[in-house]
Amino acid sequence: MKVESFCSFFQNQESSKVTRRNTRSSSSVTVENPEPNESHQPTVDDLTFGEESITLDALLSDFPGRRSQILDLIRLIGPLDCPSFPIMVYGDASTGKTSVVLQVFRHLNRPFVYSSCRTCYSPRLLFESVLNQLLLHSKCSSNGYSSAKRCDKPSDFVNLLRQALSNVMETLDSKSGTSRSSKPDGKPVGKMVYLILDHVDLIKEWEKGTMILQFLFSLYSVLKMPQLGIILISGLPPDVYYSNMGYTDPIPVYFPVYSQEELHQIFLRNQANRDLYSAFLDSVLKPFCRVTRRVDELSTTISSLFRKYCEPLDDLGLSPSEDLKRRLYNQLKPLIAPCLNEIFRVSSRPNDGDNRGERRQKASCSSENREEVEKLDFHMSTSAKYLLIAAFLASRNPATLDASMFDSTGGMDNRKRKRKASEKSMEKKEIAEQEAVMKGPGSFPLERLLAIFQCIASVGDSSFGEEEEGKEEEEEEEEATGYDRENNNLMSDVLLQVSSLCDANFITKSGSCPLEGSVRYRSMVSEDLALKVARSLRFPLSKYLYRR
Amino acid sequence: MAPSGTVADPPPSSATDSFNSGASEENDIRPFFVLHKASSGSLQGKSTGTVRSKRTIESPTPKIAKKSEVESAEEEDGQFLSNRRLKIFETVWSKIEKTIENVLRDSNSKIFNGIYDWIRESFESIRSYGALSLSEAVRSYPVLTQASSKQLFTALVLTRNLEMVDDLLTFEELNLHLKSQGCHVAKLSSMDFSAKNGVGGCLRGLLRQFVMPTLDVADVTTLASWYRENENHKNPVVIIVDDTERCCGSVLSDLILILSEWAVKVPIFLIMGVSTAHDAPRKILSVNALQRLCASRFTLSSPAERMDAVLEAVFLKPCSGFTVSHKVALFMRSYFLCQDGTLTSFVRTLKIACLQHFSSEPLSIMLEHFCQDRSNQLTGEGNGLLTESTMKHAFDLPSVTRNKITRSTCELLPQFLLDLQRMPNPWSIVVLCIYEAGKFDKLRLLDIFCETLDPEARYLKYFSPSAIVNCQSQVSGRSVIRQVLRKLRDLSPSQWRSLLKRWENLSAEFSEINDKVMELHPLKRSVEAAGQRQGLPNSPKKHASRSHTKLEKELSAMADKVAAVIEFMLREYMKPVESVPFHEILCFKNVDKLQSALLGDPRGRIQSDLLEAHNILHCICCSQRGTTLLPSMHDTSILYTLAQEHADVINLHDWYQSFKTILVSRSSKTKQNSKTCSKSKKRKDRCEEPEAPAEALIQARFCRAVMELQIAGLIRLPSKRRPDFVQRVAFGS
Amino acid sequence: MGKENPAEKALNLIRGRLCDPTFVFRPLSVSSDSNYSKLKFIVSTSITEGCNNSILLLGPRGSGKAAVLDLVIGDLLEEYPDSVSVIRLNGLLHSDDNCAFKEIARQLCMEHHLLFSKMASFDENSQFIIAMLRECGLAHKTVIFVLDEFDMFAQGKQRLLYSLLDAMQSVTSQAVVVGISSRLDADQLLEKRVRSRFSHRKILFLPPSREEFDSLLEHLLSLPSDSSFPSGYVSQFNEKIKSIISDTRFKNMLKTFFNANSTVNSLLKYMLSLDVRFRAVSLMNLESGLLSLENFKAALSSLQRQPKLEAVKDCSIVELYLLVCMRRLEVKEQSSYNFISVMKEYKTIHDSFQTSDYYAQNVCLRAFEHLKERAVICYAENRGQFQTGEYRPMKLLISASELHQGMRSHACCPAMLLKLLDH
Repeated sequence: MKVESFCSFFQNQESSKVTRRNTRSSSSVTVENPEPNESHQPTVDDLTFGEESITLDALLSDFPGRRSQILDLIRLIGPLDCPSFPIMVYGDASTGKTSVVLQVFRHLNRPFVYSSCRTCYSPRLLFESVLNQLLLHSKCSSNGYSSAKRCDKPSDFVNLLRQALSNVMETLDSKSGTSRSSKPDGKPVGKMVYLILDHVDLIKEWEKGTMILQFLFSLYSVLKMPQLGIILISGLPPDVYYSNMGYTDPIPVYFPVYSQEELHQIFLRNQANRDLYSAFLDSVLKPFCRVTRRVDELSTTISSLFRKYCEPLDDLGLSPSEDLKRRLYNQLKPLIAPCLNEIFRVSSRPNDGDNRGERRQKASCSSENREEVEKLDFHMSTSAKYLLIAAFLASRNPATLDASMFDSTGGMDNRKRKRKASEKSMEKKEIAEQEAVMKGPGSFPLERLLAIFQCIASVGDSSFGEEEEGKEEEEEEEEATGYDRENNNLMSDVLLQVSSLCDANFITKSGSCPLEGSVRYRSMVSEDLALKVARSLRFPLSKYLYRR
Repeated sequence: MAPSGTVADPPPSSATDSFNSGASEENDIRPFFVLHKASSGSLQGKSTGTVRSKRTIESPTPKIAKKSEVESAEEEDGQFLSNRRLKIFETVWSKIEKTIENVLRDSNSKIFNGIYDWIRESFESIRSYGALSLSEAVRSYPVLTQASSKQLFTALVLTRNLEMVDDLLTFEELNLHLKSQGCHVAKLSSMDFSAKNGVGGCLRGLLRQFVMPTLDVADVTTLASWYRENENHKNPVVIIVDDTERCCGSVLSDLILILSEWAVKVPIFLIMGVSTAHDAPRKILSVNALQRLCASRFTLSSPAERMDAVLEAVFLKPCSGFTVSHKVALFMRSYFLCQDGTLTSFVRTLKIACLQHFSSEPLSIMLEHFCQDRSNQLTGEGNGLLTESTMKHAFDLPSVTRNKITRSTCELLPQFLLDLQRMPNPWSIVVLCIYEAGKFDKLRLLDIFCETLDPEARYLKYFSPSAIVNCQSQVSGRSVIRQVLRKLRDLSPSQWRSLLKRWENLSAEFSEINDKVMELHPLKRSVEAAGQRQGLPNSPKKHASRSHTKLEKELSAMADKVAAVIEFMLREYMKPVESVPFHEILCFKNVDKLQSALLGDPRGRIQSDLLEAHNILHCICCSQRGTTLLPSMHDTSILYTLAQEHADVINLHDWYQSFKTILVSRSSKTKQNSKTCSKSKKRKDRCEEPEAPAEALIQARFCRAVMELQIAGLIRLPSKRRPDFVQRVAFGS
Repeated sequence: MGKENPAEKALNLIRGRLCDPTFVFRPLSVSSDSNYSKLKFIVSTSITEGCNNSILLLGPRGSGKAAVLDLVIGDLLEEYPDSVSVIRLNGLLHSDDNCAFKEIARQLCMEHHLLFSKMASFDENSQFIIAMLRECGLAHKTVIFVLDEFDMFAQGKQRLLYSLLDAMQSVTSQAVVVGISSRLDADQLLEKRVRSRFSHRKILFLPPSREEFDSLLEHLLSLPSDSSFPSGYVSQFNEKIKSIISDTRFKNMLKTFFNANSTVNSLLKYMLSLDVRFRAVSLMNLESGLLSLENFKAALSSLQRQPKLEAVKDCSIVELYLLVCMRRLEVKEQSSYNFISVMKEYKTIHDSFQTSDYYAQNVCLRAFEHLKERAVICYAENRGQFQTGEYRPMKLLISASELHQGMRSHACCPAMLLKLLDH
């Protein structure tokens, strides 16, 4: 009747578009035919963990201190083929959330889909990776590394997900008909698919992230498909998301940070010489646990420390006696404190070009215990050095003092004067200091930088003459000519130097000042670096630095 | 710009200084060079030849300027010669350039191999986790092994220089090196790590270089599946980020976190070029990203070291024969130290010096034979090109006249050239010897080079006994050589041994020095004997036992002897090139030309040129101007000259008023101006016919002039706070 | 699996019930004045009379609006199989008008077995929908539009609502628009032109009363007698359930629980975790397959978490030091503070008390970052990105009391820190 006629007309006018669409998304067509090259066509089996499943005891022994969490997870996921509410696994970083969940699925040997919001840094990537896994689609050169379906809107995702799930369900039904027994072979067990989303907390930083979060949390109720179990892994507790929670706020499973004993067991796993290692841990672990209890942060330092610990030993097989332990500990002790204070270890290669590797190693520990005598270990031209110091002064000193600082009489006396003035009122000084701390290094316009630069360059020229191995006391006239030459050398292409300092993050362009439109700069140099530079120039920096 | 100026040079007039003045007039970089190049070209021609002719007349060598019939004859073969010199310059420079490239490559190769070995062994260690099946390698969830499997192997390549310029090339070579070894290499720059594009941008950049140019969406899974395809997984994947400091830290951190999740499936090696301190990454990256890095450090040779290597190869080892004078060396050194310590700028300086030498020195053709190997066809062909004029020129060289060499000894010229050419000449040997001695307290060859080039050889005065004494007493020696001498006193026997050996090698083919060195041997043996007796040879400073004191004596004796040898070397063989006759042929001396060509100080130029504009546009109308401002001058220069009276903020209204008064004041003396100005600029005679130019016109000209000043970067336009004031950007003038 | 013991089987059964809402809400909808019957009456009349209608289902989250609606629609589809077609939209997915129209068109095409084209433009889709509505009206087919998260459709220009309701003004069309929202003022969000076309039927979903809850519990937990369980077990089980529910301690427990949030959904969650707890027990002794009051207690405790306390417990000593320093700065009513000032406070503490753990600045910076990514602290304001993190002002996200509690329950918190916190 009329409906059909109307719609047939409608189809006709659309058929052209349809064909065009097919040509456009030809990639999704090529998915079906099997690739010629060795990339095998994934099957439903690939939805399981792959390797043969492990027993519950092995699982529990693999994760010391995670017994209750593992058991909770298994029970929440529930027995075979029975639906469950969304689950949210949360806890601090490196508390074994991801591994436990994955290993639990390895134990249960059920089909699942895993997507990490770290790897998939945008909604589209997230959706497409889920769909690719469900549709058993693998990217390869023959399909131009494209996804099975192009999908970036939640609405499309829901529709596509429904289709994909129903397909998977059919195949699973047919398979489960054949292999009912849950023998630990790679075959998937059960008629349910679980969706594991990792690093959910990252979504908050995405644009329109709250929207996506809300969608994911209510996906279960939107989809209305009990065959899909949803497990969210988050670094943040659920209360952070309360604004985004939809109809079903997921059931929380909490992974606390490992305690010291648990850490002890964890590090003790698969060690060759257990009691030696445990002796080592007894001595080392306690101080480190006060700083951090993250496995990944601890493991690097601890392994390197253990190497040092073992150095005196000739055979690592022996079980240490008490005094041996004591001796080992005693010559380990000096090493612990620096390791506590270091967060970034740079190992220097044996065939590395520089011979002073050891001192740098120490220096790399922290800015505190860096020895002051260390020289500047990279090359800067003199004018760049002066600019650096000028910027440092410009962002440390208040602009009102420049005149008095850099007049011909030199900074010393008027600094004293300033100090008296500021000592007049104590609490005002307090406040000023506090807000100075809040402001951080002050910002300055380019003109001020250049003015200060000219002043200190002219001041420093005498000292510059000092450090240059010239013959100025032998022949003045020669040095005089060379001298003013250097002077305008210093002056000539300063802007170039400024830009290169900006590139090196020594000076940052800090947004333009609201009053006049000029861009303002800000020095990011730490004080000891500035002092180092000043020392290399023999420049009396402290004399010009205004201390409150 | 300087080369282009010099290439367009006229044939050299016989009077050298007049030539120099002419050349310097065109070589120095002025901001209006491009505009005036044509005019300056015609400036050799007859149109404005007045200037030049005046110069040549007042040139201080009248006898040559007199004989003008010779000049006409010389024009064409001078033309021929200049072209010839250009060719020779190319050969010479290409030789120098090749030498420098080789030096740099050698200096880097060691580090490169180190990096490659590191990649190899860590790659093996990753594969030792066990080979992954395809399905494992491309699936979305991480491989569950211990926490170390999330570590991302990273090499921090310390280019110990604030400037990136030298190292761009270095990283490019590293890229090629690794590619040649079979790694998959991608090179990302800070452009890819912009906060705007986020982590997607740099991933896209990666995939563009690895997988394929066109991908609608970039993610790591693509990389993983690419890596598993045809044999790709046999080789590691290397990512080079050459300027880490400039990257947006958050994006780089994100990339690191993502890659570290796939570290086992796609073994990726990050090579980060760190130009400043070694802990720069700690300042940029987030702590989590830092935690994922398993970093190891590689240090490139510092620019100063490279510089020494280049100096040694170019000036001290037989290379091209071209060399520079003392002052030029000082200038180049200070430029390197003060300006920007990049080797590239140093090489550029060298090139400019070389070019200017060839453009200004007629006899520089002879350098050709220095480039070629030691076959002496110099005499034969040398006579060929020793025309009358060149001979005359040669014997008017100041060095020649200083040494009282007359035309009678004309046939000696080839002889002189020969021992100029003689390489390795004793001078370079001596310099290298001192360098060896100086290495013990890390003296730079650059400094030694500069000091020893000094023609008046002031360093010799250290050898007066008084100086020897006070150089022990004095703590801060300025002179490099004095430092060397002082350092000699506390060398250990082992150091002595190595020093003497190196000296022998250096002076091998120069017998006189070699003998002197050989004489030191018995002393060395006795010192070593003393060292053995005392047991621990490397500590000459202890005064514990008699053997110590004996060793002390031995060492001091040794030191004195060596000092004597050094003195001998310096006195006898230290002939700086500038003291040799005919050295002008090889040696470039003109510092000022070099400086003006190198750092033209454009801002200062613009300002000075604005202040006396009529020197550039040689219009007659303004030529008779003293200090007075004439309305016929260019508006911009008028305005700028007016601006001089103000402080660094200029009230627009006052400025405009004074500008207007100047323009209008002209209406009184329009009469005599009219005929003079009529030929100069059409703008002028357009504003001719009204008595005083219309108010609107003046305003328009004022506005345009202010705009031009602002474009030239001399003033800043009014801000919202003070709408009627412009600010002078006051520096550099 | 025949060998599966009755307790486990029972639990699977219960779990199955918990997870399907229709089973849960069926008993709530028997009574004549229930929302179910109201809704069903309205919709069915509009189907039979062939008139247009629009209803709003309002109520807090988890009070079973969608479930009841599904019950109704299910029944209607059974009664009038060929004269009802349902279009479901969700505000979360389709708040953008364009894709909402696309979705409607898609579902209509699926209903009527037409070819749907993704490429169809907004106008094409809208005129297609209007046309389809007219056709359906002529064919006496009622189209039920279910708009879940109705308030999100009310954001923006409300073109969807307008065109739908406008189409329903015409006599020919025959459609029902059911909006579901947890915002009780959802109809206030509508523009005037939309509200004027909206027939203001609102059905309010209130949380069930206590006795309803009890009946619901019994309904959920008691086993059917006519099942393959050993008969003794069933009766035993149900007895136990009854006794527990009638127990006063249990009633108090339930009251405290429902003071927090009293929706059916929360009850379901409670029951599910109860199920979990019970498995914990039953794994240990399989023979006593009965629920006990302790199970309920444990389940309740497992539900009520205090994430902030956990976060404080997770902190390492350094992080605790930082927190205490910030707290002290707040007590000094310093207006705002950043990492640098916190470090100064830290240093003063160290200088005055000679604490054993005084760590380098970058270690503290790392701890600081960890606190930030654990959402215990955060930057005070968003602007000022150009500054590095050390200088940006920041604030605590946990109250002093939480900090106190957490530090008391912390495993190895030095006693001195607590003192420092107090004064």
